[in-house]
Amino acid sequence: MKGVLARSLVRIGAMAGKETLHIRRDPRTLYLALVMPVLMLFLFGYGVSFDLERIPLAVADLDRTEASRALVSAVVASRELEEVARVAPQDGPRLFREDTAVAVLDIPEGYGRDIAQGRRTKVQLVVDGADAVVANQVLAKVDALVRSETRRLAGPALADRSPPIEVRLWTRYNPTGRSALFMVPGLAAYLLAISAVLLTALTVAGEWERGSMEQLFASPVGRLEIVLGKLLPYLVLGMIELQLVLAFGAFAFDVPLRGSALLLFTIGFFFLVGMLGQGLLISVIAKNQLVATQAGALSALLPSMLLSGMVFPLENMPLPLQLLSRVVPARYLVHALRGILLKGNGFAVLWPDLVAQVAFAILIIALATARFQRRLA
Amino acid sequence: MATPGAMMATASRPSARVQLAAVFRKEVRQTVRDRRIMFMLIVAPLLQTVVFGFAVDFDVDRVPTLVVDRDGTAESRGHARRLLADGTLLRARFDRRGEAATIFGAPWGAGTSRSPAEAERDLDAGDAAAAVILPRGLAADLAAERSAEVQVVLDGTDPNRATVAGGAVSRYFGDLGEAMARERLAARGIPAPAQIEVVPRIAFNPGLKTPPYMVPGIAALLLLIVTTIVTAMGLSREREMGTLEQVLVTPIRPILLLVGKMGPFVVIGLVDVALLLAVGTWLFDVPLRGPLPVVLVGTLLYLMTTLGVGLLISTLSTSQQQSFLGGFLFVLPAILLSGVMTPIRAMPGWLQAITWVNPVRYYAEVMRTVLLRGGGFADLWPQLLALALLGGGILVAATRRFRERIG
Repeated sequence: MKGVLARSLVRIGAMAGKETLHIRRDPRTLYLALVMPVLMLFLFGYGVSFDLERIPLAVADLDRTEASRALVSAVVASRELEEVARVAPQDGPRLFREDTAVAVLDIPEGYGRDIAQGRRTKVQLVVDGADAVVANQVLAKVDALVRSETRRLAGPALADRSPPIEVRLWTRYNPTGRSALFMVPGLAAYLLAISAVLLTALTVAGEWERGSMEQLFASPVGRLEIVLGKLLPYLVLGMIELQLVLAFGAFAFDVPLRGSALLLFTIGFFFLVGMLGQGLLISVIAKNQLVATQAGALSALLPSMLLSGMVFPLENMPLPLQLLSRVVPARYLVHALRGILLKGNGFAVLWPDLVAQVAFAILIIALATARFQRRLA
Repeated sequence: MATPGAMMATASRPSARVQLAAVFRKEVRQTVRDRRIMFMLIVAPLLQTVVFGFAVDFDVDRVPTLVVDRDGTAESRGHARRLLADGTLLRARFDRRGEAATIFGAPWGAGTSRSPAEAERDLDAGDAAAAVILPRGLAADLAAERSAEVQVVLDGTDPNRATVAGGAVSRYFGDLGEAMARERLAARGIPAPAQIEVVPRIAFNPGLKTPPYMVPGIAALLLLIVTTIVTAMGLSREREMGTLEQVLVTPIRPILLLVGKMGPFVVIGLVDVALLLAVGTWLFDVPLRGPLPVVLVGTLLYLMTTLGVGLLISTLSTSQQQSFLGGFLFVLPAILLSGVMTPIRAMPGWLQAITWVNPVRYYAEVMRTVLLRGGGFADLWPQLLALALLGGGILVAATRRFRERIG
């Protein structure tokens, strides 16, 4: 029995060696597979941010008094908003279409008089609502700035008194709110999904396409051994990528590692096995590289990005999508990575993620092998 | 009158139109025959739009929140209730521990004296994303005009969510504090100072919904993914199988071969855009405010760039695998730097500069401005011009490479 296992391991090793030769002979693929994660991480880390500075604001000051000028300078003083033009109130839509401004602050005539008389007065903020994210930010920022202008105007009566209630915010895990800390765990899952599913799908589909798969079957290597041997080099490649992404994240964006590295790599390992199994399944079904790519993109990339909680919060999605996200392995990896890297969570909190990964991996490998066998029978 | 020489030439080589039609026919047949590819080109983008449209929602609400009410008075319970009233913050649910469920299943604060340390543990475990700690003596302090401090502990793993949750609490107590300060002034007979109110008027998208803005952007992304990668891999596949060489020994001129090959994808791209717009208006209330010819022109120019990039990648690769990876190496940064997912204005300056050569950026702007803001040629000529220049440049470079490769 022991001899059988040993011989089987030798055959798996031979398959893995052959696959490694394939990879090494085509260094361009290897570079792309290794350079892409770093490049993407770099771009994501710097590029993905929703925090706007110097938002272009147009001003329609119909009052033209000292008070209205004071309001405008209070709004643009923080440099969060920047005055780009003096316009008439009805110019808003045109400016929004040309993208020269995203909001118009409209100060009506009589503003200065109202302020002097201590009355309640209104200013209008016309916002380009097309981009709701930007619009919400502009509304919140202008609202806060105008509030503080109100307090300033109130002068000694209100401002000198300490506010009755003070709210102290204490943000844990990511006190400065850097997007990179949020993105790196998600990005790691995404990049692993790309390389694991698509590279496997492509190589195996390529063997079918060229007819060399039949040649392999003619050799004494068993089906399962072929599967394992083909997956092994990509598993190693995937683990290297995972380390590369995390190392680069730590180096460039100070992503911490607060929990156990062992747990992290264990969960990452099973995630990779599951993704490789998915790639194999796709290639067995598609047997064509072009179709395999698209199927891989549809079944792995998109869910890994959209339904993993990587960028878009899962809690806000409609229920059917939330349920769908429960069968997306990337969801568990993203959750586990964030927990380990940022929060320092351990096994006690993250065991459900590990169980989910292992279950998915076993299921998909079983499915792929079964399907693989049937193809030949 | 044709000279004999010219007639000889036409006899040996069919006219450009005939050649083009022949290639186009061949390509259409080849594409349509593989039903799986047609599925990928037409049905998949549609499916993705639907999923995308529902999934991509930046509105942060229902943040799972704990209220640690250390005061336990009627007032503090009232604050807790009003704080959670607008739906931004949602009472955290506890399935994990029975004891927490009973506390939070009960009416607000009934005997609640959970400690801040416990709240932190719940944040660690991910059961809550925010904890609001109402201090002991809150109601008494406020009544006695002493100042009180409310603490908010936030889970910063999602910075956006943390900001929204923190803002909601700050705003609630800020308003409350201001109202109380005014009351106190009034009670002393001091006239209340002037108050400025901001009245928002939201143009184009009064409900501030995400899908009407995202769906046109998603159309740009899907078109990019479908056309660039399929073209790059398709050409590499032909080269791998040797069929490209076979076609090249026929009298067809290489340039016409290329144009004919692109033809079906242009048609498919246009069909995709039409379908996506239909789904967008039907499912996600995307308005159609501007002139559709601008969309058509923009789409054609955009397809020039995406197909050109696909061609260029295929000439730089030796296998389908390389084409695919090369395609991704272009597609992913192009998506990221397009402004579709995150506002371009939020990027650092040097990244903003890179977006100037990104066709996806211009096409997304064209789609969004035409559909949502009702813009026309007068507003969008710079974007259309940029697309035309980029497309022309890429196509010239790609055909030149293609000729070199086969020559």
